Amino acid sequence: MVLNGETHRGIGAAMGMRAWWLALAAALALCGLLAASLFFLFWDGIAVWGNDIPVTWALDIVSYDWWIGIACGGLVVSAVLLLADSPAHGALNRIAETMAVMGAVAAGIYPIIHLGRPWLFYWTFPYPNSFALWPQFRSPLVWDAIDILSFLGISLCVWYVGLLPDLAVLRDRAWEAARGDKGLLKAQLYGIAALGWRGSAVHWHRWVQAYRILALLGVLVVLALQTGAAVMFAGTLEPGWHDTLLPVTYLAGALLAGTGMLSVLVVVVRHAFALQSLITARHVSLLALLLLGLAVANMYCLGASTVSAMLGGDNFVVAGQVRRATGPVAWSFWMLVAGALVAPLVFLAGRLRRSPAVLAWVGGSACAGIWGDHYTLIVATLQHDFLPSSVHATRISFFEWATFAGSGGVFLLMLLLFFRLVPVVGLARARPYVVPAGAPSGDADAPLWGVAAEFATQAGMAHALRKLRAGTAGLRVDGYGPVPSVRAAMALGLRAGSMRGFAVVGGVAGALAMFGMCSYATVYGYVFDIGGRPRFSWPDFVVPTVSFGCLCAGLTVAGAMLVGNRLPRLNHPAFNIAGFGRASVDRFFAVAHTSGEQIDPIAAEALLRAMSPAPLAITRVRR
Amino acid sequence: MRQLFAPGADAILRLALFVVAAGSVMMLVVAGAVANSDYVSMVGIAPAQPVPFSHKHHSGELGLDCRYCHATVETEATAGMPPTYTCMTCHSQIWTGAPMLAPVRDSLASHTPLAWTRVNRLPDYVYFNHAIHVSKGIGCSSCHGDMTAMQMTMRAQSFHMDFCLQCHRNPAANVRPIGEVLNMTWQAPPDQMARGRALVAQYHIRGAAVLTDCSTCHR
Repeated sequence: MVLNGETHRGIGAAMGMRAWWLALAAALALCGLLAASLFFLFWDGIAVWGNDIPVTWALDIVSYDWWIGIACGGLVVSAVLLLADSPAHGALNRIAETMAVMGAVAAGIYPIIHLGRPWLFYWTFPYPNSFALWPQFRSPLVWDAIDILSFLGISLCVWYVGLLPDLAVLRDRAWEAARGDKGLLKAQLYGIAALGWRGSAVHWHRWVQAYRILALLGVLVVLALQTGAAVMFAGTLEPGWHDTLLPVTYLAGALLAGTGMLSVLVVVVRHAFALQSLITARHVSLLALLLLGLAVANMYCLGASTVSAMLGGDNFVVAGQVRRATGPVAWSFWMLVAGALVAPLVFLAGRLRRSPAVLAWVGGSACAGIWGDHYTLIVATLQHDFLPSSVHATRISFFEWATFAGSGGVFLLMLLLFFRLVPVVGLARARPYVVPAGAPSGDADAPLWGVAAEFATQAGMAHALRKLRAGTAGLRVDGYGPVPSVRAAMALGLRAGSMRGFAVVGGVAGALAMFGMCSYATVYGYVFDIGGRPRFSWPDFVVPTVSFGCLCAGLTVAGAMLVGNRLPRLNHPAFNIAGFGRASVDRFFAVAHTSGEQIDPIAAEALLRAMSPAPLAITRVRR
Repeated sequence: MRQLFAPGADAILRLALFVVAAGSVMMLVVAGAVANSDYVSMVGIAPAQPVPFSHKHHSGELGLDCRYCHATVETEATAGMPPTYTCMTCHSQIWTGAPMLAPVRDSLASHTPLAWTRVNRLPDYVYFNHAIHVSKGIGCSSCHGDMTAMQMTMRAQSFHMDFCLQCHRNPAANVRPIGEVLNMTWQAPPDQMARGRALVAQYHIRGAAVLTDCSTCHR
C-alpha cells in the first residue's frame, strides 16, 4: 500500500504549517461569528432568525438535517467499506469517521439553540422531574433526540475504537523521540489516550470483531435516524411530507451529502498532507463512482415522488411540487437539481473520475445541492401550504446565515485540531513491512514474567505460538504485533465471533429498556390523550427502540473489548520486552509466560531458539 | 523498551476514572436534591410580614372562620385578602394601643392597604380557581396545611406541578364531604377510596383524562 519508499512516519508530518494556521484563523473567526450570533439569539430569542408563522422552521432545521446527513453519510461509507473488506477502507476510514463525529457535533449545536428557552434543554430528557411528566414518546421529536444521541455514541465508538491502535503508534513514536523529561508528557498523553494498547494477539482478535460490529450498528442507527427524520415530517399535516418514499429519499440524500463532503475532505487532506501514495487514484475514482451512483439514486427518488404526486396526489401536493420548481424559493430546488443530481453525471466520463480537483468540486456541489433539497422541502412547503391567506414570503436572515457559517466553523476547527493530533490515515491498515535488526536489553531483579522472541513476520510469530502451545500443555502464550493477525489468533485457539454475544445482549437489553420505558410512560406513567392515539402505541416506539438498542450494543461491545483486553492498563510487563516499541511498527513478538510454572525460562528459550524461521532476538522479560 | 508509565500509574488512572464517574453521578444527584429541596421551593419558610399575624391564634385558638377574612374563597378565583377594615372590626375595640398593631392603624388612617408578603405563589401561566376546588370538596388544608397550627404563615406545599397532578390524576384520594372542607385537621378515613369515588360521582368531578388535560390549568 505504501509506495515509493514512503513510510508511515511521514503521515501527519507533511502539512504546511502556514496553510494550517490560516485555516485555523478562518475557523476561529467563524466560531467567533457563531458566538456573537448565539449571544444575540439568547438575548433576543429565535425571532432574530426571522422564524415566524407559517415558516416556523427554516435554516435551523435545514442546517441541522444537512449536518446530520453528512455525518450519517461519512459513517455509512466507512462502515460499508469495512464490512465489505475493501482495501479502500484503510485510506478513507479515518477521514470519514472523523467527519461523522464532527458533523454530528456541528448538527448537535442546533437542537439546543433552536429551543425557545435553551437553558431548559434538559426538559426533553426522561428524568425524575417535579412536573410528574414524561417526554411524549409518541412524538417523532423525541425519537429524533434519541436517534441523535445514539448516532453520536456509536460514531464516537467507531472512531475511537478505530483510533486506539494508532494512538499506541503515536505513543511509541513520541516515547522513542522523547529525551529525558522533554517529550515525556506528550508520550504520556498519547499513552493515556491509547489506554495502554499493546497490540497483543488477543487485543487484536477482539478489536477486529468490535470494530466490525460497531460498523454494522452504525449502519443500522443511520437507517433508524434517517427514517425517524422522515417520519417526523410525516407526523405533520403539511402537503408533500407524507410520501412513503421519503425515508429512502432522506437516506439517499444523506449518503450523497456525506460522500460529497468526504470527497472534498479527502482531496484537501491528500493535497495538504501530500498523501498521493496512500490515497491513490483508485480511491478518488471510487468516491467519484459513489457520487455518481448516489446522484442517480437521488434522481430516482425525486422522479418517483414527483410522478406519484402528479399521478395520484391531491391538489395541494401537486401544487406544492410545482411551487418547489417555480415558486419564490425555486432557487433551492434548482440548486438540488444542478448541484446534486446533474453535476455528478460528469463522472460518466472515466477520465474525470480520476481527477481529484473535479472530485472536490463535484463533491462540494453535491453537498450544496442536498442543502438546497432540505431548504426546498421545508421552506417551500411551509411558506405556502393550504390557504392563500396564510401564504407568507420568507427570506434567510443575517443571523441564520451567521449561525450556519458558525456551525461550519466549529466543524472546521475540530477537523483541523484532530488532524493535527491524530493520523489522517489509519496507520494499522497502511504500514510498511521492512526488516531491520533488534537490540536485546537487560532488566533489574524483578520476578520473571516471560520469555519473548522477536520475529520479522507474522508467520514466524504464529508458528512460534503454535509450537509453544503444542510443546507444553497449559502454557500461557501471547503474541504482539502492529496488525491484526488471523494466524496468531488461530495459533492461540481464539474463538471467532466471541464478541457477538455482547452485541446481542447489550442490544436486546437496551432495546427492551427503551421499549419498556416508552410503554410505561405512555400507558401508565403519563396518561394523555393525543389525537385519540391508543395508549399503547407500540409502532411509535420502534424507532427509538432500534436506535437505543444499537447504542447500547455499541457501548457494550466497545466496553467488552476494553474490559476483555484488560484495558486501560498503562504499565504492563510487555512494555519491558527489548525493542517492544517496534511492536506497533513492524515487529512481532511471541511471549511464553514463565510465571505460571508450566515451563522454566531455560526450557522456553530452548524451544524458541529451535524455531524456524529463527527469532531475531530472545529476551527474558521481568515484571 | 522502557516503561512509559510507573507501576502506580494504573492505580491513579483507575482512581481518576472512578472519581470522574462517581463525581458525575453525584453532581446529578446533588443538583436534583437541591432543586427539589424545601430551601428552593420555600416550604416551611415564613417570610417577615408587616404585622406578625398569627393564624394559630386567630383561627386555631379564637376559632375565627377562614371565610371571615378570605371572604371570596367560595365564589371567586382568589380567596381574597381582608381589607384593613376587617382587622379593625375587632382591633378598634381590643388591643387598640398595642404597638404590634401600629401598622394596621396607620394603614386605616392613611387609606393604604397593608403590603403583605405573598406566601403561596403560582406562576402566571397557571390558571387556578379557589371556588371550584372548595365547592367540589377539596379542603383548605390539602394545599395550605394545618393553618390553625401555624404561628407565622408559611408555605405547606412546594406547589410544583407534580403536587397538583397527584390529585388531578386521582381526585378520589383527596375529596372530602363539603362539611369537612374547612376542617384543618381532617384525616382521610381508612375507606377514603370508596367514599372518595362516591363523592367524585356526587360532585360531578370529571375524570383524570379531563383534569390532566394541559388546558385545564394552562389556559
